[in-house]
Amino acid sequence: MPRFLQGLRALGGLALMLAPPAALAQSTPPAAKPALEGESCSVRGLMDQLRQGLGSSSKAYREYLNAVLREAAVSLPSGELHAAFDRETDPAMVEQLAAALVARSEREAEKDAIQAVARRALEDRDPSVRAATVRAMRRTGALEKTGDMYERLMRDGSPEVRMEAAQNLIEDNQYVYSGHHGPATDTAVNAAVASTDPKVTAKLLESLDTRKLGPEAGQKLLGMLGHESADVRRSAALALGGVPAAQMAPAREALVGMYRGERDAGVRKALVQGIAELGFADAVPELRKLRSVDPSMAPEIDAWIRVLQSGVQEWGLLLREKQRLQQVR
Amino acid sequence: MVIWIPMVPSTPTQTPVSGPSRGRGFRWVLAGAGLAAVVAAVGLLWRGGDDAQALSASAAPVNATRSAGSHGGGGGGGPAPSGVEEAEAAERRFSDQTCFPELARFNDGVTLETFRDWAAPLLASKDPLVRDYLMSKLSELIGDDAGKAGQVVAWARDAQGAEFKVLLSGLRGSDAVQKPQVAARLLEAGMDKGLPIERRAGMLSALDTQKHLTPDAMDRMAEFARDPASTEAGWAATRTLGRVMARESENLGDASPYLDRLITIATDAPDEQIRHLAQTAPLHNSPVLDAKTTDRFARILQSEGNEDGRDAAAQVLAMSSDKEQTLKLFADSFNREQSVCVRWALFRFSARVAGRDALPVMANMATVDPRFQPLYRTFETLYASGNVDFIRIWNELPDQNPFGCMDRHQ
Repeated sequence: MPRFLQGLRALGGLALMLAPPAALAQSTPPAAKPALEGESCSVRGLMDQLRQGLGSSSKAYREYLNAVLREAAVSLPSGELHAAFDRETDPAMVEQLAAALVARSEREAEKDAIQAVARRALEDRDPSVRAATVRAMRRTGALEKTGDMYERLMRDGSPEVRMEAAQNLIEDNQYVYSGHHGPATDTAVNAAVASTDPKVTAKLLESLDTRKLGPEAGQKLLGMLGHESADVRRSAALALGGVPAAQMAPAREALVGMYRGERDAGVRKALVQGIAELGFADAVPELRKLRSVDPSMAPEIDAWIRVLQSGVQEWGLLLREKQRLQQVR
Repeated sequence: MVIWIPMVPSTPTQTPVSGPSRGRGFRWVLAGAGLAAVVAAVGLLWRGGDDAQALSASAAPVNATRSAGSHGGGGGGGPAPSGVEEAEAAERRFSDQTCFPELARFNDGVTLETFRDWAAPLLASKDPLVRDYLMSKLSELIGDDAGKAGQVVAWARDAQGAEFKVLLSGLRGSDAVQKPQVAARLLEAGMDKGLPIERRAGMLSALDTQKHLTPDAMDRMAEFARDPASTEAGWAATRTLGRVMARESENLGDASPYLDRLITIATDAPDEQIRHLAQTAPLHNSPVLDAKTTDRFARILQSEGNEDGRDAAAQVLAMSSDKEQTLKLFADSFNREQSVCVRWALFRFSARVAGRDALPVMANMATVDPRFQPLYRTFETLYASGNVDFIRIWNELPDQNPFGCMDRHQ
């Protein structure tokens, strides 16, 4: 932007700051139409726009700024972008600059750009900055390019960072890989096992699609059934319901075997669901046997039996039918 | 087999899709992982998607083929370029994104009254990010104010080109569009014979974010879709019915009133593309079919002249609650069917009807048509190895397109 226009813009900002309160402003004329001329994006210009705009009450504008930075990232000067990222300390701005570097990496404009982001996610002194850089890697292919970063993040001293990292693994598996990339699934399970925070472990496992789980990670997942946290046991039971065919038999055996000794009602519900997913209609005889173990679980087991007997052949649709049934009850 | 496909659907001839916007990511999915060739063909037709896509009922085929993206592990051979070289090369490779430093002032100062005047130069820039911003900003300006929404409907009656799309997309995304009087006004505009047909299509498409449609609205849209003169507006009405049905289902609501109307369109619409759209609508919410709906879809399977329609009917019928009757219908239809693609649908969706219990029926089909022998053995092996979920079975198939049926849509 020409310098004289930058000056006008600064004055415009000042004018807005000095404007009277809304109640008094009613009689003022409507805002003047801005001169909307496009120009090449620059790191400094975008940073200025972002710094002012990220606090805007308009979601539309904030989303535009996010998008424009990611889109412009590939053609912005690499050195300037890295320098701005290194200098920045405001977590919100760090997140934007990190996302720009990740976008460069994702679009192969600069494959290694993501390494600078990963380093900062692991090493920055400010936990808010570490959390922000982790968020910037969400729904990307970061886990394929960052080695053991996620396992290390699971041991971060900040619960916020650990939870953001878990959220990345969940969303990457779900939205980037659609559950079809075994190494991504294994990374999530390994991170869950490495975590010493039961909340994070449970969050990671409960929504993980394990259809492509590797045998080694499968063994680790089975081990999580013995965890002292009921939340972790519950989520491990749910995750085991989805394992590949080759791991189904031991998973079923483990879930059925555990049901009788388990005291926690939430875990028992998850065990029943895992057994249902592993067997579909074939699980009905086993579920009938388990019905007498705990009378309070009988309605839940009956609901599953009814749904499984419908003969629907897809797990997602069986889950939906179960929800419908619960809605009716 | 894992392949890369873009997030936008591969397009059948009638799918209203604009090209993928720059910067969109790519996702890993299995080839045709949704389910069948017919789903791959219809793609994400019913899902939310880009507003501009939703509002453009004109065909805009895109070549969806892209090279593998940045995922997928290891790089190729040869020395890696240095960071600087790589960055410089990238700067040459990618075109510049335009920035609008004054957009902050636009954002802070624009009102509904000034929107059209102020937005005009931005729209003229043809920048897709700015266009998306304008749509969302307009939704914010409308808010839940029915009066403002009505004003935008009035503007949309004569707005042109990109502005027309922005106005209706902004309206479609606003809270106010859920108000009965706003939805009614859009429907009236969609039914207004005095408006050009593509404008009516846009009005009807803007109803596709509704949480519910009234029985009267459903009836009018279904009747309109069966009118030979409705063309692309009838197509848009059908798509809106399908999208709202899918949303109702997602929210565990009752999809049957929508399904009822869609089957009527699927059976009676004279336009083959509209009929096909209605036939494929239930693929996106997979309703369990009662006896009456099963019978109506069975008639489509037996009488539809378009093989894509029969293919879709087989997939929908696989969710019938009467498994035995459906397997018998599939077996009989397989014997009579001439198209190998529809036979392939009847064969594989038998497994969706009854899982492992369908194997004897599938074995018979493979006897009738020996081309299905190796496929039968694959299904048998997959069930024997412990798989139970049809989606898993489908995803484990070494070849999901053994007869080249998916290629019909490319």
